[in-house]
Amino acid sequence: MDLYNCKIMLVDDESALRRMVEEFLAREGFWRVKGAGSCKEAREIFGEEHPDLILLDVMLPDGDGFSLLKELRRETEAPVIFLSARDEDENRLRGLGLGADDYITKPFLPQELILRVRAVLKRVYRIKDKGEEKKVIVLGRCSVNLGSGVACIEGKEGKKEATLTAKEYAIIEKLAVNRGQIVTIDALCEHVWQDGNYGYENTLMVHIRRLREKIEEEPSHPRYLITVRGLGYKLL
Amino acid sequence: MNGCKGKENGMRMYNKLPGIRSILYFAVTVMATAWLMIALNIIFFCVVAYWYIEYNPDYIGGGEVMEELILTDSGYALNSAMEERLRNQNWWAMLLDGEGKVVWSFDKPEEVEDAYSLSDIARMSKWYLRDYPVYLRVWEDYIMVVGQPKHTVWKYNLEFPELWIDTVLKSFVWMVLLDLLWVLGLAFFFVRRWSKSREQARIEWVSGISHDIRTPLSMVMGYSDGLVDSENLTPVERQQMAVVRHQSIVMKELVEDLNLISRLEYSMQPLRVEKVRMAALIREVAAAFLGDAKEEELEVEVEISSQAEQSWVKADRKLLVRALRNLFHNSLQHSKQGEKVEIWLRMWREGKWCCVSFADNGTGYSMEVLRQLQSRKKKRTVANIRGLGIVYKTVLAHGGKIRFENREEGGSFCEMRLRAYELKK
Repeated sequence: MDLYNCKIMLVDDESALRRMVEEFLAREGFWRVKGAGSCKEAREIFGEEHPDLILLDVMLPDGDGFSLLKELRRETEAPVIFLSARDEDENRLRGLGLGADDYITKPFLPQELILRVRAVLKRVYRIKDKGEEKKVIVLGRCSVNLGSGVACIEGKEGKKEATLTAKEYAIIEKLAVNRGQIVTIDALCEHVWQDGNYGYENTLMVHIRRLREKIEEEPSHPRYLITVRGLGYKLL
Repeated sequence: MNGCKGKENGMRMYNKLPGIRSILYFAVTVMATAWLMIALNIIFFCVVAYWYIEYNPDYIGGGEVMEELILTDSGYALNSAMEERLRNQNWWAMLLDGEGKVVWSFDKPEEVEDAYSLSDIARMSKWYLRDYPVYLRVWEDYIMVVGQPKHTVWKYNLEFPELWIDTVLKSFVWMVLLDLLWVLGLAFFFVRRWSKSREQARIEWVSGISHDIRTPLSMVMGYSDGLVDSENLTPVERQQMAVVRHQSIVMKELVEDLNLISRLEYSMQPLRVEKVRMAALIREVAAAFLGDAKEEELEVEVEISSQAEQSWVKADRKLLVRALRNLFHNSLQHSKQGEKVEIWLRMWREGKWCCVSFADNGTGYSMEVLRQLQSRKKKRTVANIRGLGIVYKTVLAHGGKIRFENREEGGSFCEMRLRAYELKK
């Protein structure tokens, strides 16, 4: 199944907002987007189209999104993302409790919406994004292949290859996903040891040092795996 | 990064009780009203009574009649003025001697006897004589009886045992106390009900406004975001579009803050309490903020003691993140060039409290903001300290302490303390 062939139904009573979201989704490549302005329209479109993803406003002129979701859930397992103008926790929890896959509070940036739509579609339909298959991180003269777990530096003395340990692999994987952003010590520990409690900081430091030896040209003056003092690490 | 998923996750609604002030206000009003009504009634009663006495037939006592009675050669005689007064009101009078015989009488009704036994006298002295209300006056051996027409006077004897009076007076004190309690209870009940519905209305109003702003704002944010990179625009226009986009995000934050603060203000924000490692939370917020800000804009220094690393607090994670973010926002807003934010996390009082200090080297809080943040008054106007108001209310809602001040060397300083627990391995 292709990500962009997914049928999306957008239920919101504000036609201008519907138009905007449709535009942005279209710009991203989602071309099968249908808008509905009320529960009634939503039911009709649902019957005709059987969408793969539903974007649902909570407040609708002829009902609310929660009960519409309950109703639709009887017929479909398609993922639902709420688009709500209410940010109270009760609403968010109610929506997620009813089996919605995500909850976006208005106002939102288009990228945020698109990222979440993509994430939900990929998760639910197990679609592999083409971009994701490129699992090689390039750090200057070094390239890390996340498929094989091998780091390769082309230095002056020639090509040097090193296999990453499981922990090192986990660290670089986490940093690569958030490339350019600071990843806190806690987030790294959580990812590597699946335990957010304190106590792994020093071990983490050791692993980072070893990792640098494998990916940095000058491990004592790292250029790609940067320490952000007091906070965490960053992969440039 | 949610390091501390504890079993303590739970929801707690902290229900605010109505303030002592409003209860007292209500109670005093009720009591004042009650006393005023009682006082008015007494005054009214006195006025009517006085008016009756002033403008109605006079009362003639037995003594008066006795004084006007003269013994002449032909027996007793009343002076004519007194006779006139008695006759005017249809009153009658008689004089009994020591044996109970009538020795003189004036207009005495026929049915009234001419001689009385001791028991007759005892009876009439308190009550009626053949239904005539009578008044007795003793002079030497004689008894003067003054009678009024039938059915004109109620006669009741008041008689109280002293012990009873004593008890009643004592119980009166208790009664007043009971009244007070009752009124206070009533005040509590009503004040809570009224204030609750009023607060609810206000919260809904604010929440409605923020709801209505969100949808149009979505479009401002969405389209400006799309146009920022548009190639059809000139660089200047793109620059302007970036401003629109940035400001729309500021508005989004404003709307969120507005909603949150109105709920915090009336304690309607449910606290989703969970185990939160403060050290991790601070790093997370700082990292996110550094990621958003341009590097040259902001320098963050985080110092966390090793004891603080191993502690956690019971808190609503989302609210704490928001509070810390607001502190960052505030610092950035009042920054000069080369902003530096310092955050320390230390333990205090043998690890029972954790203490977050947040300092920057900017221009500091303005006097007005500082005055509002430091005032002890409960109702502070949160209008222009919105962001910091959330910090303040959040810490208070978590049972913590907070203070704001300006540093001597310039810049603002905020310190908050929250109850902390040690992390068990």
